[in-house]
Amino acid sequence: MNDRDFMVGASGITLAFLIYWFMGHPFFIEERIVMFLAIMSFSGTLMFFIRKARRGEEIFLREIPGLKAVEEAVGRSTEMGKPVLYVPGIMDMDQVETVAGVIVLGHVSKMTARYETTLNVPVSRAIVMKAAREACKESYLIEGRPDMFHEDMVHYVTDEQFAYAAGVNGIMVREKPAACLYMGKFYAESLILAETGNSIGAIQIAGTASQAQIPFFVTACDYTLIGEEFFAASAYLSQRPELIGGVKGQDMIKVIVITLILGGVILRLFHDMGMIDFSILEFLAVR
Amino acid sequence: MNFLIDLILKLGTVDRRWIFLIIGTVVMIPLFFPLGLPIRATATTQQVYDTIDALPHGSKVLVSCEYGPSTKPEIHPMTLAVMRHLFKNNHKVYVTCLWPDGQFLAEEALDQVGGEEYGLKYGEDYVLLGFRPGNEAVVKGIVSNLRKLYTIDSRGTKVTEIPMMDGIHRFEDFDFLFSASAGYPGTIEWVQYAVDPTDVPMSTGTTSIQVNEVMPYVAAGQVNGILAGMPGAAEYEALIGVPGIGTSGMDAQSVAHLVIVLFIVLGNIGYFIERHRSKKY
Amino acid sequence: MLWKRQIPILIVAVIGSLTLFGWFVDEPNIKSFVDDDATQWYDILASFAIFLGGFNLLKLQLQKVLRKQYGWQYSLFAIGGFFFAIIAGFFYKGNPDVAWGTHVTAKGTLFKWMFTYMFAPMQATMFALLAFFVASASYRAFRIRNFEATLLLVSGIIIMIGRVPLGSNISSWFILYLLVLISGIAVNAIFKNKQYTLGIVVGGIALVTLAGNSMGWPLDQPGLFYLPYLQEWIYFFPNVAGARSIMIGIGLGIFATSIRYILGIEKSYIGE
Repeated sequence: MNDRDFMVGASGITLAFLIYWFMGHPFFIEERIVMFLAIMSFSGTLMFFIRKARRGEEIFLREIPGLKAVEEAVGRSTEMGKPVLYVPGIMDMDQVETVAGVIVLGHVSKMTARYETTLNVPVSRAIVMKAAREACKESYLIEGRPDMFHEDMVHYVTDEQFAYAAGVNGIMVREKPAACLYMGKFYAESLILAETGNSIGAIQIAGTASQAQIPFFVTACDYTLIGEEFFAASAYLSQRPELIGGVKGQDMIKVIVITLILGGVILRLFHDMGMIDFSILEFLAVR
Repeated sequence: MNFLIDLILKLGTVDRRWIFLIIGTVVMIPLFFPLGLPIRATATTQQVYDTIDALPHGSKVLVSCEYGPSTKPEIHPMTLAVMRHLFKNNHKVYVTCLWPDGQFLAEEALDQVGGEEYGLKYGEDYVLLGFRPGNEAVVKGIVSNLRKLYTIDSRGTKVTEIPMMDGIHRFEDFDFLFSASAGYPGTIEWVQYAVDPTDVPMSTGTTSIQVNEVMPYVAAGQVNGILAGMPGAAEYEALIGVPGIGTSGMDAQSVAHLVIVLFIVLGNIGYFIERHRSKKY
Repeated sequence: MLWKRQIPILIVAVIGSLTLFGWFVDEPNIKSFVDDDATQWYDILASFAIFLGGFNLLKLQLQKVLRKQYGWQYSLFAIGGFFFAIIAGFFYKGNPDVAWGTHVTAKGTLFKWMFTYMFAPMQATMFALLAFFVASASYRAFRIRNFEATLLLVSGIIIMIGRVPLGSNISSWFILYLLVLISGIAVNAIFKNKQYTLGIVVGGIALVTLAGNSMGWPLDQPGLFYLPYLQEWIYFFPNVAGARSIMIGIGLGIFATSIRYILGIEKSYIGE
């Protein structure tokens, strides 16, 4: 789809919505219009930058040491003749962090296929097991090493949080992987995993958006991807233009949000001083 | 002096099992020989207490238990303390669980406080609706149509046959919610899908580590106060005047925190000595 | 190729769009789908998927036992525990007066016994490991390397001590005296002049003592140096600001990832 078609399509959708709105917007929950407009404008911003990246425009992304270290970690494992342990979190595929973890697993498994390193992926959910297997299988196929892939490299341990932590700890202590990667949604077991990994001398790279666990990973791991850096990992590792454009789009949305926050603070101040009737809080409240 | 410096440097490379042993010892000793440190309630705990105390007698209170045996030491004391406060003020207590483990612990709490301590009747003064799978879908279900989600309670009795379930059809029929939460699904899901759309007031108790995540909701006024881990539970026990497990654990926690701080300070002293030496040589 | 590529992408796009935009639609069937059915379909899928996981676990553990691989004896426990839980859940109640279903939490049943005497202690034990790991991780990692690390360390200490009863029994005057001594060390390190150091320390101690005497040595005044108040301030202001900004960032990350899935830009779930 070229730019002209995209603009025509976007204008058409906007016009259609305006007509629908002025015709009385049947079935639409009016109180949620602000959220609807926010979603549409943020999606539009994302798509604009994705298209910009696809056109070949250079987009600067700052270096994230944790992601550069992934290849280093896999290389270290290859040299030491030890496996790479990849933990995609303890939650199911309904969590976006788990999805992001499986995406990064796809990239890591490409590296392990290339360097002929053993990969061990213990998972906590059956659906994650299937998704992770597919990601690994595809990666090994792309690297031309389907012979190296075997289904049991991604194996189910248990759904139960601490039983899973105990199982993974056991794997770490027995197999002594040279690299431990924790990418996904974690809870209290994060420090147990990271400390055990530290005790066996493995290089550890963690990535999570679980706020409460970030400090533990920062303390115990060599590199940590914090919040958005983790979601941007797939863009960094694949260097695909549309993904890089998406990261840029996210940053632009953040600029919009910051501007709205500052504007909102000023409007609220005027409202509290009695200068205007308009209440930004009422306007933005989601019902 | 040199001996001391060498000792500090040696401590910097000590086997971590010595640290484990010291921590284990300092936690155990106060449990056998309590220090009896006085407990003062913080503002957030006081807010929870004041909110619950201000409820009119006989209010319908929903208590949601989403914790398991691992977080029992932190959350169970606050569940017991809040239940004591609720039963003392003659409120009707309805208990749901978003975690499967929560049902076991909720039952234990209700039997202990409602059954043994206050001699109340199941089905008339308190009811355990139990666990339902679905995470936030359960919260949404309670908001829209509780009876569609809970046709029977945890004992298999039909909800229509439980006297205190009369008039309870959805979340808005409750006067207050207390969420005893150790993670997901928990407090945040209750705020997002239940409390915010309906304006039913809510307080919460969480593990200490979760306080960071929930504090923005407390600061915004969406949650009326928070009981932060075992200290929060101990403070609440002090406020209701019934010391329990929370209070008994506080001496051990105080000493353990102090020892960890001392370890950190020692570690930094060693770090500075090493840095000074490497600069010198 | 159609089944493995286009159809999965279409399913993701349609269901994703329906779930996203269904929230804005005031139509009972769509609302029911978005609020109840969508998540329940997922839960049903996940519940049946447990068979996949369970069989995979059994297969690997049995293989270990049959091939007498290293540590095969532990696999016997895994297999034994697996079947024990199935028997307790589906075949043997232990208390004949209790109905199937409620036997999971009812008193006197095998499942309840297993929960109380096996599952709960093991879970509590694993969680308790955190206390030891936090101590060893803190000891190893918290170093005053730069300004941010110092800030982190100081606020961590304030919260650790301020949060527990010990902190509320430490007078703010004690903290003031401590600060005077630390200032003395800092002045000595910077200026390396004994007179300056002595002046700062003696002057500081005298000032604090005078102020304390005049105020009657209250435990929690001045409030700026009372650890519980300080830790509350840290929780309410810097912590909330940081938590909110991380939440916004994470929310945007989740939004962007989800939109990429709905628009078909991200296709890793089909292996691309």
